[in-house]
Amino acid sequence: MAPRRRGILLWARRASGLVLAGAALVLGMNAAWAAGPIVVGATISETGPLAADALFQLRGEQLAIAKANAEGGWLGRRIVLKYYDDKSSPGTAVRLYQRLITEDKADLLLGPYSSLVTVAIAPLINKYKMATLEPGASVPTIYVPGNKWNIQPVASSTTYLHQLLPLAQKDGAKTVALLGLQSAFTLACDQARTAQAKRLGLKIVYSTTYALPQPDFSSIALAIKNARPDVVLACTYYPDAVGITRALHEQGYAPRYLGETVGPVEPAFIAALGPLANRILSNTSWWPNFKTPGNRTFIADYKKKFGEMPDYHAAAGYSAVEVLGAAVKATHSLDQAKLRRWLLTHTVQTVQGPFKVDANGRAIGATQDMVQIQNGVLKLVSPPSLAQAKVLVPYTGS
Amino acid sequence: MSAWEGFLRQARAARIWSRLGGTSDVVVAAAALVALLLVPLTATAYGLQLATDILAAVALAYGWNLISGFTGYLSFGQVSFYGLGAYATALLVSRTPVPWYGAVLLGGILGAAVALLLGPIMLRLRGILFALGMLGLARILGIIFNNWNFAGASLGLSLPAALTPLAVYGGMALVAAAAFACNAFFVHSGFGLDAMSLNEDEAAAVAFGVPATRVKVIAFVLSAIFPALVGGLVAWNRSYIDPTSAFKPSLDLETVVFVLFGGIGTLWGPLFGAAVLMVIGEELLVYLPNFELALFGGVVILTVLVLPGGLVGLANRFGWLRRPLVLAPAALPEGAPPAPRAMPAGDVPVLEVRGLTVRFGGLVALSNVSLTLRRGEIVSIIGANGAGKTTLFNTITGFITPSVGRICYLGRDVTRLPTFRRARLGMARSFQIPRLMRSLTVWENVVLASRHGGQAHRAVAHTAWVLRITGLAALWREPASRLSPGHQRQLELARVLALHPALVLLDEVMAGMTREEREGVRNVIRHLPEFGVAAVACVEHVIAAVADLSDRMVVLDFGHEIAAGPPQSVLRDPAVVRAYLGEPL
Amino acid sequence: MLALQLAINGILLGGLYVLLAQSLNLIFGVMGVVNLAHGGFIVVAGLFTYWFTIRSGVSPLVVLPMAFIAMGAIGALVQRFLIEPLMRFGSRAELLSLMITFGLSYLLVDLALQLWGADFVSVPYLQSSWTVAGLAFNQALVIAGIFAAFISAALYAWLNLTLSGKALLAASQSPVGAICCGIDVGRVRLVAFALGVGLAAAAGVLVIIVTPLAPETADDFTLLAFVIIALGGLGNYLGVAAAALVLGLVQSAAGYFLGGSVEYILPYVLLLGVMMLRPQRFRRAAS
Repeated sequence: MAPRRRGILLWARRASGLVLAGAALVLGMNAAWAAGPIVVGATISETGPLAADALFQLRGEQLAIAKANAEGGWLGRRIVLKYYDDKSSPGTAVRLYQRLITEDKADLLLGPYSSLVTVAIAPLINKYKMATLEPGASVPTIYVPGNKWNIQPVASSTTYLHQLLPLAQKDGAKTVALLGLQSAFTLACDQARTAQAKRLGLKIVYSTTYALPQPDFSSIALAIKNARPDVVLACTYYPDAVGITRALHEQGYAPRYLGETVGPVEPAFIAALGPLANRILSNTSWWPNFKTPGNRTFIADYKKKFGEMPDYHAAAGYSAVEVLGAAVKATHSLDQAKLRRWLLTHTVQTVQGPFKVDANGRAIGATQDMVQIQNGVLKLVSPPSLAQAKVLVPYTGS
Repeated sequence: MSAWEGFLRQARAARIWSRLGGTSDVVVAAAALVALLLVPLTATAYGLQLATDILAAVALAYGWNLISGFTGYLSFGQVSFYGLGAYATALLVSRTPVPWYGAVLLGGILGAAVALLLGPIMLRLRGILFALGMLGLARILGIIFNNWNFAGASLGLSLPAALTPLAVYGGMALVAAAAFACNAFFVHSGFGLDAMSLNEDEAAAVAFGVPATRVKVIAFVLSAIFPALVGGLVAWNRSYIDPTSAFKPSLDLETVVFVLFGGIGTLWGPLFGAAVLMVIGEELLVYLPNFELALFGGVVILTVLVLPGGLVGLANRFGWLRRPLVLAPAALPEGAPPAPRAMPAGDVPVLEVRGLTVRFGGLVALSNVSLTLRRGEIVSIIGANGAGKTTLFNTITGFITPSVGRICYLGRDVTRLPTFRRARLGMARSFQIPRLMRSLTVWENVVLASRHGGQAHRAVAHTAWVLRITGLAALWREPASRLSPGHQRQLELARVLALHPALVLLDEVMAGMTREEREGVRNVIRHLPEFGVAAVACVEHVIAAVADLSDRMVVLDFGHEIAAGPPQSVLRDPAVVRAYLGEPL
Repeated sequence: MLALQLAINGILLGGLYVLLAQSLNLIFGVMGVVNLAHGGFIVVAGLFTYWFTIRSGVSPLVVLPMAFIAMGAIGALVQRFLIEPLMRFGSRAELLSLMITFGLSYLLVDLALQLWGADFVSVPYLQSSWTVAGLAFNQALVIAGIFAAFISAALYAWLNLTLSGKALLAASQSPVGAICCGIDVGRVRLVAFALGVGLAAAAGVLVIIVTPLAPETADDFTLLAFVIIALGGLGNYLGVAAAALVLGLVQSAAGYFLGGSVEYILPYVLLLGVMMLRPQRFRRAAS
């Protein structure tokens, strides 16, 4: 053969060898992704009345998944969060979960935001037998024997502010007024607190429920003023928490203890009420100073990515993904039955504390802790081991 | 003959079955049917759920169309029936051995019962007030169920799961089909024509015998059944119901947008609107989640400004999906004059008005007016404007209740009888300003009256005859809105004749007519007795035209009768001259 | 004392209701246009006030004239391009205006969502009450009430005592007749609608001081305003003012003695009750 031709052949052999080697390398790498990403399906209320808080939950989920991917994914596969906007509408969510299960063929599911929407999709989850963590649903009635595939990673609403009444009673309080917004989870809370008050032997001097929109709470506040309770415990969302606080101030009554759920933890609450917010007690399932594994990383990552502090909804979303990941890794599979069995029998330490559920999927490990606004800043006041400050009394509205 | 036999005869005469619609209607119906059957065979579980939801939206849209599209009572509270049906079904399925289809049906019946109870009260109002009332009802029901522990209060109720998605789909398809059939009934039947006439002009409809309250309540009850059935099926499908989703305000809002976009008050509008917007909404949901509200709003605004008839209106411009004429034959038959009306024996006067006094607050519009019309008489009533002439007619026909006085018609005291019953007994009037049903055709305007008058059992033939003798035969398919003023007056007259009346009250029927037209009307008035009309009363300003026609003349001035008698003497009466004429005629 | 305090609370609440309803009364009662976007205008103005006061620190009362003029201008545009074209439909104009403002309300709510999010927000201004003789007077409601009284009186005076106001009344009673009198009916309608929207915006500025607002609450305000007008009589300024005050009083008492839920449904129960027992008021008004 002529020397040039030999050179070309040699070059061709070397080149093809390189190409083959490169291909083998790439294919080898892709073998890890060859099965495709793990699809985690969910809906979230991007629009509609529930959107404000739902966004936090979504971000928590997204952050946790991004972190998991950075650590190599689950079962060596990348994780993708496929989510839709359910418009805060149960009906839409049902359709969308149907789509996620049958069209998008999601491998795993996460629940939507709010008990209202979760309850609507629960039967569907059971029908398709997908072990689903529901970070947005705190109403305990979902987690009953008939609903065996829904699992609760957050504390029930019946535990909100459960520390308040015993604490107040130890301080000498004898009378309590209870308020409840007519909505599934606030009413569940209201009923639980009412039962607790009776158990403790406290006298309920006034109680009422109300519905939104309620532009004016002055009648309720006046009634409370006349009843002169030591404790006012209101199971609220945000606008009614603001309304009740203002109305009490306007009618000129300050109970020794004022506790409201959900509302006071929103950043806008303190801005909206100014000095009136001081010494209001509220509940949270998560706090930045928790010494839970990964909490500091969670806060730092969240701040970096989204430019603000996370709240407990974000923590709930994040933990749910943590728990799911733990289950997948431990069972080495995406088999729903295996995952479910594992979830019902194991404890997982998450950023919001221990995850543990009973045989019906109801949360028994998660806790609700108490916070108080002190000088315009929220501080954790219970449990004592993590408390940043002591509970300050009385509530003065200034 | 019984009402049913009469109806069958009419239907055969009108060849209803062959007149069910044009080619475009058949094409759309076939396409819808094919889609309905294909879905369960080919779709995924998600697709089946979406199709079920679309069918639910279609059924709701059709239900709403019945009361709000055809009958014109905009309701923003149909969700009340939806929620009631949902809860009824949930309670029955979870606590009794009633099977699901029974529970759903009972839910539908509950919705109908509530509508029957509330209808007569709510339907006294129109426009925004009716809409408000219904909305208030929905809110109240939401609160009631939120507090009712037996129904689970705000935590709601769980149901045992639905058998299969296919069963739900089938149920929903049946409900949607039934709702469609109801709409088709409205579009093709005399009852639907009554409803449409109420929508257009309730007072005029009533004057021609339409039983307004009855029609409205029936339409309302029908419109309540379908949301109740849909609510029951949805509850069963989701295995859960709670007050927030059972009584959600967005249901009515979406339904309104769907029907408006598709074409309000039409047969195919609700189907198009619901199907198209549901599919678009679903796709948008996936790709453009944040703008759905703005898009909905934009759709509504654009539709109202550009396409008030919706998609069907657009199709109409190409000649498709046009609404067929109600009860109309293919070609105008000859018709035949009606048999003379049976009159009571003896010399009972046709109309006897005694001591009629009408007060509007402090104003006395009529004071102690008496009038008697004997058989064969033509009486004209003249007077200055504001004298009370039209008020007199309004009181005789029942639009106004007199404070004092009696009205006897053919020997029967009708002082407290509702207007539509007087019309059915043969008391017909024309209006000073023609109050035609402008959205209906000439044929339909007349057949509306024929159906309620003395010739109701042969309404089609009678209508044809009336159109021929009033010279409107060539225009029988024209929309009333396109008639010239002269033809409009003729149509007014035709409607009067269609009632086969014994008493005809003509209110300034010759105003603004040319000499030839006036001559035509005078001719008709002269010949009225041949058509069974026993007495005629005319209010007129064109005195020359009625002076020689009338047997008697009555003059009103400020609500008082100041003269009565043969025209010649009345017109020379100095009191009349002073009050009205100005100089002897 | 209790009764007096309840009465004061009720009257002050009624003052807020007057504020919400009068501007709608102008548009609907006089023009016959059903403005379902009423709540949307209120909420947009209120949320804008929140955004502005948080950023600039000025009192919301300063924002009030700004909002009035700006929204009034927007109202004029809406009337010119969306409502006026419907007037040619005669009797169907009411239905069509209902539909088009319905679509507009969706647009406004979406705009508010995009600009300010779905959160409830509130302005921390005037949160206390003045105490006179042991009775509490909610400051925010007092200011709102003063403004409401002013609007009612001014509207009444304008419509009944000035030529331009009478021109509006004339145009609403008989457009053709008014044209024959040389009244520019189109311009009169424009002014009335713009004024109505401007006043709704002013109401929004005051409402956000009293209670938190979110885009989703727009429809509740629309509904409440319509209920009050229906109770008070369409186009009747004194009637609506009276109805609003009565409603406030009854709600205040009911809330105290019967609890929050009853207070909530009271307007609707009253409306249905009046509809059932005295429908002739509505018949006359509706015709």
